[in-house]
Amino acid sequence: MATDGGSGPAIPLARWADRRLRLLAKETGSPRIAALDGATIVGERGANGGYVIGGRISAGIGGSRLMPAADGGWFALTLIRAEDRELLPALFLDAGLDIRDNDAIAAAVARHDCADLLMRGRLLGLPVASADEAPPSPPVEVMTRGPHRKRPAGHRPLVVDLSAIWAGPLIGHLLWLAGAEVVKVESPTRPDLIRRDDPATFDLINQGKASATVDFTDAAHKAALIALIRRADFVIESSRVRALRHLGIDAGALVRETPGLVWLSVTGHGATGEASDWTGIGNDCGVAAGLSRALADASGEIGYVGDAIADPLTGITGAIEGWRAYGSGQARRIGLAMSAITARALQEEREHDPAALHAELHAWGAALGQKFPYVRRREMFAPVRKPGADTARYFPAIVPC
Amino acid sequence: MKPGTRLKSAADDTEVMVIRTGGGTIECGGAPMGEAKPAEPAALNPDFSAGTLMGKRYVDAGGQYELLCVKPGKGSLSVDGVALIVKDAKPLPASD
Repeated sequence: MATDGGSGPAIPLARWADRRLRLLAKETGSPRIAALDGATIVGERGANGGYVIGGRISAGIGGSRLMPAADGGWFALTLIRAEDRELLPALFLDAGLDIRDNDAIAAAVARHDCADLLMRGRLLGLPVASADEAPPSPPVEVMTRGPHRKRPAGHRPLVVDLSAIWAGPLIGHLLWLAGAEVVKVESPTRPDLIRRDDPATFDLINQGKASATVDFTDAAHKAALIALIRRADFVIESSRVRALRHLGIDAGALVRETPGLVWLSVTGHGATGEASDWTGIGNDCGVAAGLSRALADASGEIGYVGDAIADPLTGITGAIEGWRAYGSGQARRIGLAMSAITARALQEEREHDPAALHAELHAWGAALGQKFPYVRRREMFAPVRKPGADTARYFPAIVPC
Repeated sequence: MKPGTRLKSAADDTEVMVIRTGGGTIECGGAPMGEAKPAEPAALNPDFSAGTLMGKRYVDAGGQYELLCVKPGKGSLSVDGVALIVKDAKPLPASD
């Protein structure tokens, strides 16, 4: 594996990702997917960014931290946005907290029980997790079914990709590799910031997608988007369920009314029930999946495993589930829960080869400060479109914004 | 009142978590909110009945108050009789 001498151990669960990719390649018949491997898909972002294994601080920009709580539990808190720090006085019941000081935040965690922080953090919409919780939702949930659609042989599916960051865009990318036409739709005020902050990864997983910008708050734009969705085969989104509802997009009704429409909802912890109000992103969802606890059990040191590992595992899972639903011809809305998908991967890997998993977790825990494993950069097959470059083509009725 | 305190409406189903407060009277549906629901519900004032939305953050013009709706209802939020407004959605996270 290591080729440059400074390269770290394999990412645990990469072999699970690899087996799922083999399955996707077989079911789609795509030679481009057959050419992928699990270590590349879970490791390419870390390799692109020169990430270092960070233990209790997540790799990359270090946005997620695992901290001990008063009751001996371990609390994961992800703080990427300055706006999220404004919520910390409410999380810790302390108006005087210095919200910019990570040491002060760790000291505040140590004064509270993990369960209280988890409850309040989730009410506040912060991405939080406990190392010892069980994911509240099934990994994959068919939420709504709708009418069937018979497609002619050789039909090229159209994918409307409304998602951001990594998991959802990776689903769109895998469907694109399988031959789909994908249009990435973004809001001009809330674009996918990975384009700006991690172009090396953005380009890999968004190459070949058309790009359109739509103002979700404008009635004419929203009507045009819904019209596009009604003639699409797939929708991918990673919004919170209520956020879509507040925007006036009724995913359930669209699935019930549109023959064959496959709607994939990527969530942190589930698309139904109370957990649909929670937020979760790749690193904290890995903690909620029990992966950090598994690392501590194997190595003696608790920490993050891989880089936002719930994202690529969910991307691969979403592509498989979506492709199967598409093949059935039946319209379906499918909820994907990142924490539960990661927990299932861990469980399946334990059953598949417990000794290999233990050895990988042990090596990962011992590799603090080492670089992520080397991954050869994938070939680009198509250019990356400029934001909004294809708005007029997909939304001729609206003035491009 | 500490940040993190949960307040319930006396006039409807709304519940909020206090993010920031300046010491004035926080109301919903025109009636003061409290940590417990009163035995007798207050009447919903039609001037404060635009409704609250789950997960939205409500602020005053001066930036002294910020409330997060954790349970929606028919009332709308105010401080000392002055209606609060919805804060813009946060940007998407730039990484994870």
